[in-house]
Amino acid sequence: MTHRELELQLDAYVDGELEPEDARDLETHLQECADCARRHEARVALSAAIREQIPALHAPDALRGRVRATLRNVAGGSASRPVLPPIAGRWLALAASLAVVAVGSWRLALSRAGEDALAGQVLASHVRSLMPGHLTDVVSSDQHTVKPWFNGRLDFSPPVYDFAGRGFPLIGGRLDYVGGRPVAALVYGRRQHLVNVFLWPATRESLSDPSPVATRQGYHLLRWTTPEYAYWVVSDLGVAELHDFAQLVQQADSAATIPAAARALP
Amino acid sequence: MEPSELERFEAIVLPHLDAAYTLARYLTRNDHDAQDIVQDAYLRALKYFGGFRGGGADARDGRAWLLAIVRNTAYTWRRRHRADALATEFDEEQHSDAVADHHPAAALERDGARESLHQALDRLPPEFREVIVLRELEGLSYKEIGDVTGVPIGTVMSRLSRARRRLQEALSAGEKWRVT
Repeated sequence: MTHRELELQLDAYVDGELEPEDARDLETHLQECADCARRHEARVALSAAIREQIPALHAPDALRGRVRATLRNVAGGSASRPVLPPIAGRWLALAASLAVVAVGSWRLALSRAGEDALAGQVLASHVRSLMPGHLTDVVSSDQHTVKPWFNGRLDFSPPVYDFAGRGFPLIGGRLDYVGGRPVAALVYGRRQHLVNVFLWPATRESLSDPSPVATRQGYHLLRWTTPEYAYWVVSDLGVAELHDFAQLVQQADSAATIPAAARALP
Repeated sequence: MEPSELERFEAIVLPHLDAAYTLARYLTRNDHDAQDIVQDAYLRALKYFGGFRGGGADARDGRAWLLAIVRNTAYTWRRRHRADALATEFDEEQHSDAVADHHPAAALERDGARESLHQALDRLPPEFREVIVLRELEGLSYKEIGDVTGVPIGTVMSRLSRARRRLQEALSAGEKWRVT
């Protein structure tokens, strides 16, 4: 591998964007190569320096007020068509609409590719977990044992439930690596079947209900997003049963997190 | 537009005003232009909001969508209003492998002045500056940065890496100056 390729990999690694296999290879290399280890440290230091010296900004209050007023004006006024923005000529509006269309289709293509890649990783982790000795790092049917186990191992404390009463007993948990970041993997049982639940903090606000993503190699994958976490579940269970399970988790989550608005009510 | 539609727009898009202003401000390096661009971008966003919502669940992430419009507005603005060096087309090769004269470290040794990271960022071509802002300040993923800037993820990676290399050079040159 050339120096340039290594540098690219290093950046992707620092950003948590490297595929798990590549990340592991790079980590091995960093232990062996003092030069690259120094480069890695320098990159981490640079990111820290950037965040310290180059702040994300707050929009001036005047701008906030102006934007809000303009929107109300344009959307609410008798002119239901938004007036052309002050600096936009006709050609400019056309260029903008072309750009938006293009961005829109990139978004779709990219998000599909991203979801596919993620599904592949989730499935690979699931299959690996089924190999002898890989299923759990902490074995316990007690949620109060499994949840604290993640302390200090992850930068979030995953919600852990026991659905033994509903036919999905908790088996344990482990640390896994999906989508370029360490994630919590929780293992539940169902008769002779196993269900892996992967979750990590949601990076975007778009909420979604459990929906099937794919069926590959006889395994079904479902995903959903709560305000706090991105969830993926994978199992050889039937889709209907897996969906029931996903809904159990989702209900337990929404029962556990009371929205701020509701909390404020007497 | 229905009042409920405006409320939805405000709920989804307005929270990203700070991010919009941050990107516009670093792209233009000028508060006045940045404010005009953000205002203009919001008007365009409102206009195209219908199409945005039709894009499926994933497209509900208003931030990347809005930032793409802000960026587009800023580039159009720059082409129209500025005839300075900024307006030259971005050349991946020319701007990537820092020409000796524009090499921050070389410039520093020549000028004998310490350059802050902030100044070093301002000196980068906008295509490099924006990936730093989107990644380091806004925390966008490579995929989202690709969405905003309209380039493939591989290009995002290489721009980010080159931008960092140049900031790093500026940073270490600055330190060297401080020590001597």
